[in-house]
Amino acid sequence: MAAVRDGEFAALQSLLKAPSRDAVRQLCQECFSSPPAGLGPLAQRVCPGLAAGPEEAEQLVSALHNLTRHVVYRGLTRAEDILSLFPENFHQNLKNLLTKIILENISAWRNEAQASQISLPRLVDMDWRVDIKTSSDSISRMAVPTCLLQLKIQEDVALCGNSPVVSALTVELSKETLDTMLEGLGRIRDQLSAVANK
Amino acid sequence: VSSQQFSALTEVLFRFLTEPKEVERFLTQLSDFATMNKISLGPLKNIVKSILLVPNGALKRNLSSEQVRADFIALASLNWSLACLLLLQWKVNSPTLTRLAVGQTLMINQLIDMEWKFGVTAGSSELEKVGSIFLQLKLVIKKGSQMENVYIELTLPQFYSFLHEMERVKTSLESFS
Repeated sequence: MAAVRDGEFAALQSLLKAPSRDAVRQLCQECFSSPPAGLGPLAQRVCPGLAAGPEEAEQLVSALHNLTRHVVYRGLTRAEDILSLFPENFHQNLKNLLTKIILENISAWRNEAQASQISLPRLVDMDWRVDIKTSSDSISRMAVPTCLLQLKIQEDVALCGNSPVVSALTVELSKETLDTMLEGLGRIRDQLSAVANK
Repeated sequence: VSSQQFSALTEVLFRFLTEPKEVERFLTQLSDFATMNKISLGPLKNIVKSILLVPNGALKRNLSSEQVRADFIALASLNWSLACLLLLQWKVNSPTLTRLAVGQTLMINQLIDMEWKFGVTAGSSELEKVGSIFLQLKLVIKKGSQMENVYIELTLPQFYSFLHEMERVKTSLESFS
């Protein structure tokens, strides 16, 4: 996330017209969470209260979005670091308010960013059951246990937006396959502990 | 055909049944047998076909020994002593043949293979420094006659929970074996 430009800080001054601290807080959260594409509609909602016209509203919303995302990107956690982002002549009280709001939300925002980062389809849930096969067309009597594993997989969050697509995949494992799989998983666990202990 | 010669033939037949992929070898052995014993191959093949049907039917219908022997006599027009020889071979080989039949039983979306890698996410477009561990699994699944690859990503807690569940499955499967 590129650093916030001076012109954008000027746009933030529109916040001085906000009715309350909570309104500013609310707006900060909405601007952070909104993807760049959603900023337009957000600006239109903001327009009547805070800004003189649609252009000013857009600039405000965009500036707030960039500021909050920049702080999260850089991982700034100290008040001094955030305060130092603002230009010299920025309104003192507004600067302090914005810094306070950002600090309150920083860890939630960080988690949000991590949750929505690109990834392969994610496992969201798994269920299993063990069946005993008693007969089939090739042999009429047997007692073979087998495992059915259902994995619920969610497609890439970034692609789905607000309506994530979750698909269910049911897989059958024989005992031998399960043993091999457990061997592999055990090796992963050993390697993870080796890495954790370093 | 003497008992000794027939014994040799039954050995050939059952070796084929327990290793059904060795078709070439079976056909060669069959024609060798025909030549050595001065029998013509055509009629021999017909008899062999009938004989080979009996073990499959036996597994499908869970036949008793007497029933199997009766089938050998009825379907392959063999006399009592030859049928007994075949029955003996059937009993010896039936664990292997059973295992093969079980292996052929229908499996839905069978898991064939699993590959994995894990690493650390260093940074992203939203977060300059991340440092979180990811685990990626590639599952190779047989859907009908085709293979399908499924890629999944797990977080660390999910991995441990997955491992724990799989160990529970193993315990469950073992208690039923």
